[in-house]
Amino acid sequence: MAKVVIDGKELEFPDGTLLFDACKEARGEPLPHFCYHPDLPIAGVCRLCQVEIEGMPKLTIACNTHVRDGMVVHTRTEKVIKAHKQILELHLINHPVDCPICDQAGECGLQDQYMNYGLYETNVCKDDKVTNPKAVVIGPEVILDKDRCVLCSRCVRFCRTVTKTGEMGIFNRGDKAEIGTAPGVELNNPYSVNVVDICPVGALTSRDFRFKKRVWMLKSVDSICPGCATGCNIRLDFEADSIFRIKPRYNEDVNGRWMCDSGRKEYKSVAAEDRLKVPTANGSEVDWPTLFNEIREFGKPGLVITSPHNSLEEQVLGQFIASEICGGNISSGLSDSFKGNADDMLVDADKTPNRTGAGLAGAKEYSAAELIEKIKAVDAPILIHSNDFDGNSEISTTLDAKTVIYLGTHENEISKQAAIVAPVSCWAEKDGSFVNKHNRVQLFKRAVARPVAASEDWRLLADLMRLWGLSDVPESMPAVRRLVSVRVSELSNFDMNAIAINGEIPGAAEPDDGGEG
Amino acid sequence: MTNNQYKILSRRFDRNDAHNISVYEADGGYVGLKKVLSHMSREQVIAEVKESGLRGRGGAGFPAGVKWGFVPEDVEDIYFMVNADESEPGTFKDRFLLDYDPHMVIEGSIISSWAVRAKLCVIYIRGEFGWLVDRVQAAVDQAYAAGYLGENIQGSGYTLNMIVHKGAGAYICGEETGLINSVEGRKGQPRLKPPFPAVCGFLDKPTIVNNVETVASVPDIIIDGASEYRKHGTEKSAGTKLFSVSGPVKNPGIHEIPLGLPFNEFFHEWLGGMADGEELKAVIMGGSSVPVLTAEEAMETNLDYESLAEAGTMLGSGGMIIIPERCDMVELIQVLMHFYWDESCGQCTPCREGTGWLHRIVKKLRKGEGTLEDLDLIENVCEGMAGLTICPLSDAAVMPIISFLEKYRPEFEALIQNEKESISSSRWAREIRS
Repeated sequence: MAKVVIDGKELEFPDGTLLFDACKEARGEPLPHFCYHPDLPIAGVCRLCQVEIEGMPKLTIACNTHVRDGMVVHTRTEKVIKAHKQILELHLINHPVDCPICDQAGECGLQDQYMNYGLYETNVCKDDKVTNPKAVVIGPEVILDKDRCVLCSRCVRFCRTVTKTGEMGIFNRGDKAEIGTAPGVELNNPYSVNVVDICPVGALTSRDFRFKKRVWMLKSVDSICPGCATGCNIRLDFEADSIFRIKPRYNEDVNGRWMCDSGRKEYKSVAAEDRLKVPTANGSEVDWPTLFNEIREFGKPGLVITSPHNSLEEQVLGQFIASEICGGNISSGLSDSFKGNADDMLVDADKTPNRTGAGLAGAKEYSAAELIEKIKAVDAPILIHSNDFDGNSEISTTLDAKTVIYLGTHENEISKQAAIVAPVSCWAEKDGSFVNKHNRVQLFKRAVARPVAASEDWRLLADLMRLWGLSDVPESMPAVRRLVSVRVSELSNFDMNAIAINGEIPGAAEPDDGGEG
Repeated sequence: MTNNQYKILSRRFDRNDAHNISVYEADGGYVGLKKVLSHMSREQVIAEVKESGLRGRGGAGFPAGVKWGFVPEDVEDIYFMVNADESEPGTFKDRFLLDYDPHMVIEGSIISSWAVRAKLCVIYIRGEFGWLVDRVQAAVDQAYAAGYLGENIQGSGYTLNMIVHKGAGAYICGEETGLINSVEGRKGQPRLKPPFPAVCGFLDKPTIVNNVETVASVPDIIIDGASEYRKHGTEKSAGTKLFSVSGPVKNPGIHEIPLGLPFNEFFHEWLGGMADGEELKAVIMGGSSVPVLTAEEAMETNLDYESLAEAGTMLGSGGMIIIPERCDMVELIQVLMHFYWDESCGQCTPCREGTGWLHRIVKKLRKGEGTLEDLDLIENVCEGMAGLTICPLSDAAVMPIISFLEKYRPEFEALIQNEKESISSSRWAREIRS
């Protein structure tokens, strides 16, 4: 441990702590900075995080200094503040200050730091600026404005050390230096949009989000990416009933600060054209009371098929129905469905967010042949909750002969043939939890409203339970979550209503190996 | 001329074919190497060099023996690099050593490499010195053939290989970590320190980088001993030093002087004073990066590290630029600002943006479009650049312009008040102004 005095505060840090981090703790806010990023190698080029260390003749950058026992550091002396101001001014002299047309405005390092540390009158006239090309498309997801770049080299270091693809570089020298990709090279890797997140200014922006929304209009909720079994922690940025973008949310044990480009597109399915919006019975639109009457007419189901896309809460309600009504006849669908490619960073081969949760709820997966046998053997309605069997045509052919009660979000083969179609909520329209491949139970929260005539899954399942004469039906989400602990033995000592923001591994006595990010 | 007794490093400059190993050996060449390999321990060599007071001749003046002592004991792969990227405006001493006495540089490099246990020595020659690459490579080949390089040198068991590496023409590769990056095939940009190259340098292994003149001084220190070396110079600035003098003096060119020599004496007796019709206005003592001295200041100082520091400037590389009275100081600073703007590697923001800004302000002044506020702005910009970057290039741009402004402010003000474009006396300065 090293005892350090920062701005008069005596603090203790483990040896090897970066002075930058120590100062952040002491000050309650980070030092001004552009190039420092906790997950990238130190570059030390923006020169903003200068501090005064007693006994050293010159100011020193905190990002390339480690704490030493007895170190006395000043971050708010006149000399330091003046240096911060002057270096910031040098960052800005050739910046176009085109904030009114810049996507980054509102979450921009230059704007924030100017307000915090700058606030000087400009000394450079417009005609005197070095200009660089704007709006250069450098890949399928990212567009580059070289004029706004402050050459912090974060994107270069990201491509070199995180994705190890090395597409980006700084070309030429001095104030002729510009960021870019080599001729003929595209920034085209599965994690390319992360450079947009780490770009402290508006030099790298997302082609998907570009010009869609001013960021200060957006609200955010914490969520979990439903794209694969990794369960990257994300933030949904939305306004009114539209989601505009997905950003990764820091979770050291899961995804660190990154997420894949394909996960960022998951929001698009929420507002898709093919959403199921109204209940239908035998192909015609009906209201909910009529729908329930029809379901009552069909009688109780003999088989429940859930989906690895459903939340853990929904899985457990499905299991409740199956065990009380169908004699435990339940499946979570096909064992080989929704599989794809994996990589060594975040993307998992399992493209569902909650296969582990389905297993915990006691729903087994089967091969197509086994599942077809199971379906054929049932002589009662079949309740299918949002599974579409990855479009397997043999299964839909088999289901043709059956009465299907389908709870789903999007049009598919099953919704077309089902006797009853009840529209339910997408993941972004409800609360719930997914269990990732490392058994981490993670909460996602509602961002936007579901379609007007759609139902929230757990309420619909609870209504069906009452319809089919079950008692002790949970009346609220906390009650559903208590039911989870009751019905899943692995979670019997786990409080589903008090899950930490970064998720928890139930009963994890042994060390958590979820840090694959 | 009374200065022949001080010709030590430069003693073979006017001898025919001194670049050939036979001439060099006949003149006592490679004796130092043989002495080291057969009679001395590494510690003795380092101690001798420390004792001699030899300081880095590239500009910083750091004691060479002390630098060698930083190499960690327990590491196998160690590298030695000779910095021949001589690019500081006004400096042209190393090229003489490489051109006229390459074997003295090579012998010094082998001894230095041995002292720090290096297994590879790289001589990094600036790209513009194309012919010198051939010259030095030929000498290295001769040294290999004579058994001074390669495996088991002179039966000592020590193996050293030597590579002559040509730079691609960047001033910043003369900064030792920029040089190391360049040899590694990376962009020539200085590295963050710490770690220092003596601990983590080329290929992340300990690497010592020394200037050509520094290593060339080593054989004599070994042969004659530290006390002989110390006979010239002062207590803290020991030995002789090459000065490359440019400007309208009677005897410009390379002069080897004992450190501590009064500038007055050097100027009048060695340089022969100003050329006919010229009058001394100012002197840049140690290469374009050091603060300028007025004629009066120069006449009162001595040519050694301490005296020049006291006078507010630096010995630097010994690239002395004599500035005549007729020279327009604003034009001269424009040339220098163009240089630093052009050569900034662009890594650190203060230097990248600051050198460009200074260059643009000076251009504006020269066009007669400047204001008095611009002079304050220059000082303000310089404050945001000095001492705040990874390497000293930023300071190298700040020191001249601040001293020019301080000492020749009336010339700047006259330009502003006349509101007239300054007529250039130099075609090149006219060209770069646009």
